[in-house]
Amino acid sequence: MTKGRIRNNIRRLRFDRSEMTQQELAERVGVTRQTIIAIEQDKYSPSLEVAFRIARVFGVPLEEVFQYETDAGVGIEP
Amino acid sequence: MDLSYQEKSILGSLLAMVVVYGYYFASVLRNVGRPEFDGGSLGRLILAVIAIIVIEIVYHIVLALESKTEPKDERDILIECKAYRNAYFLLATGACLVIGYVIVAGLAREAAPTRIIVTPFLTVNLVLFAMVLAELMKFLTQLFYYRRGL
Repeated sequence: MTKGRIRNNIRRLRFDRSEMTQQELAERVGVTRQTIIAIEQDKYSPSLEVAFRIARVFGVPLEEVFQYETDAGVGIEP
Repeated sequence: MDLSYQEKSILGSLLAMVVVYGYYFASVLRNVGRPEFDGGSLGRLILAVIAIIVIEIVYHIVLALESKTEPKDERDILIECKAYRNAYFLLATGACLVIGYVIVAGLAREAAPTRIIVTPFLTVNLVLFAMVLAELMKFLTQLFYYRRGL
């Protein structure tokens, strides 16, 4: 199995939402600002629940916030 | 360096432990030949524990006043779990080493006169040392994962 990594577009989505601050996003999701920073820097992959909560704050599908990348490209291996 | 509330809390606890138990174990080393864990030894240990508690309380009050407290979230808990795992391995290793030391010293003493000593004073402090090292390992692991990421 190829080891992949989870990327995200949170920084861009925050920017698109009138430059929502990390603190505001953290409060709306229910985590600390440090956790939002760690997620944005790809230093932490959140739980499925937090991932869904982030997507819900932005009002977009989960896949628009998070992408699973492998050497073969974005998505799941066949 | 921008430190989070949790990191400042851990760093304070780490420094308090290093200073207080450093001082305590320095006094243990000076009295390593003492046979029993007597009232004086117990007094020094209780003093160290009280000092840690007082320092922790004062430090966390100051920390709460100067920076915004943050409740733990899933990342904090995950990091804490990893830290406890490392601390457990260190504590278990320390316990095994102390048990091994006591057994080997007992066997050696039966076989021939030896300079290896096993006293209640030494045994208690070796176990305590393993516990303190395990706690330090927990703090260091937490700081490591907060900085490097999971």
